[in-house]
Amino acid sequence: MMLVSLAILLYINPGATLSTMIDASTEALTLCIELCAVYAVWLGILEIVEATGLSKKIARALRPIIKKLFRIDNEEIEKMIALNMSANILGLGNAATPMGIKAMKALDNGRGVATFSIIMLVVVNATSIQLLPSTVIGLRASAGSSNPSDIILPTILATVVTLTVGISLVFLCDKIKQKIKGKKH
Amino acid sequence: MSIYILPILFIGLFLYGFFKKINTYDTFVKGAKGAIKLVVEIFPYIACIMIAVALLRVSGATEFLAKCLAPVFNFLGIPPELCELILLRPFTGSGSYALLNDVFAVYGPDSYIGRCASVILGCSETIFYVATIYLSQTKIKKLGYAIPCALIASIIGAIFACLLCRII
Repeated sequence: MMLVSLAILLYINPGATLSTMIDASTEALTLCIELCAVYAVWLGILEIVEATGLSKKIARALRPIIKKLFRIDNEEIEKMIALNMSANILGLGNAATPMGIKAMKALDNGRGVATFSIIMLVVVNATSIQLLPSTVIGLRASAGSSNPSDIILPTILATVVTLTVGISLVFLCDKIKQKIKGKKH
Repeated sequence: MSIYILPILFIGLFLYGFFKKINTYDTFVKGAKGAIKLVVEIFPYIACIMIAVALLRVSGATEFLAKCLAPVFNFLGIPPELCELILLRPFTGSGSYALLNDVFAVYGPDSYIGRCASVILGCSETIFYVATIYLSQTKIKKLGYAIPCALIASIIGAIFACLLCRII
């Protein structure tokens, strides 16, 4: 992907190549500094949630869903995934990330290939439910919309569709994979 | 209403911690310490993705792709004006919000296209960005069918979003 765009740039505007790359890298650094601040707040809160034992309670409540969806049986990981999912539902994508990363680290078996649980966690986070699309509403308001929040209902419905399709596809792909494996043996 | 949720949750949490006799200050600091390390570790991945996306946009590759895919999107019921937005959405959050603003400026936020764009952005995620960052701390190199599943789900979500905007 990078190669193709570099080749095109060589043809149309070779002078812009390096400056574009450095601009983007600077943007990434700014984003990371912002993220660092956001993560500090959420990791701090998360630690308190952990210490009070609240995360265990949330995990216990979500346990039946998590067990079925991710096919895992490990209290530590269940806890992380439960918090990751609750943050996603609350629309706190940036709070969900550090917890998701922790869960990923614990799920990794070091063999370099993603397991079912890891794939499911990526897909659930990549198609996550958002109950309040606050950034979009803010942008609509500043663009002079007469009713910035009238997109909430369609957004929730569409996000449910996306998530359901994503989860079903993962189950389907896993079934197909199992069948292919079964035939080989 | 929703602006009260977070502060109330936080107050509840601190009160609960107090009730459980936890030193909330020390605990918070302990957790927050992890932030810098985490960001230092994910920075190279974020930088790489953002550089690739910037090159794609500056080179005009996305515009070209969007033009090629316009008939396909039209067939699926998605306004072809939103091609570039849908193409870039899986890669960049800030980039797609910038494009959303462009859409608002050209067509207006309350137009059909403007509403479609809003719903599409609201119901989708930065798939490649999420996948890269989530995997950044693991040894996993192959994600199997995760990305195709997420992409197909997002496209179906986008088709559904445009359909909903026509009814609601």
